[in-house]
Amino acid sequence: MQASTETVFLYPPTPLSARCYSHAKVETDEEFDARWVTYFSKPDIDAWELKKGMNTLIGYDLVPEPKILDSALRACRRLNDLASAIRILEAVKDKSGPHKDIYPYLIQELQPTLTELGISTPEDLGMDIL
Amino acid sequence: MSLAKPAMRGLLGKRLRFHLPIAFALSLVAAAAFKYGVTEPRKQAYADFYKQYDTTKEFNNMREAGVFESVRPTGK
Repeated sequence: MQASTETVFLYPPTPLSARCYSHAKVETDEEFDARWVTYFSKPDIDAWELKKGMNTLIGYDLVPEPKILDSALRACRRLNDLASAIRILEAVKDKSGPHKDIYPYLIQELQPTLTELGISTPEDLGMDIL
Repeated sequence: MSLAKPAMRGLLGKRLRFHLPIAFALSLVAAAAFKYGVTEPRKQAYADFYKQYDTTKEFNNMREAGVFESVRPTGK
């Protein structure tokens, strides 16, 4: 799917000339992802920015790409915040809603990062059962 | 065996595009059903009742029953 996150009702994406309203330039999915990877890659990111970034990201109609999550997990590492790292995993699982195939895919893609940074998944900790 | 990348964007939008028109349609059906199942029969029942209603006769019945203050029953 290539619909941008800010224009939920336009699918497939129509060229600017065919849109009914705003002349704002629409960001591609790649630009969106790159922007967020950069946001979390800030070397001296602070705890507030991490939390704000994650909350904003979770507000969008999408499940973040593995590369964005990787960047966010590394930001948690820089901030010595293991709790937030695990919380991020819980959040994306919840964000997937009824689509049960998304979370296993994300864990698969993030496994190298999780191993490198020593982050346990909620499942490892038995925190996934209510 | 590695998992294929699933769709991860616009999932809510897709769901709404599917369910909202159905929701609107069902709401309209519910409203129409109530209108033609309840309110119209009710209005018709009132209309039928009052079509043959003799106001004078009913007034005199009520008068004799003594429910009015402004007129007493006849013969008193």
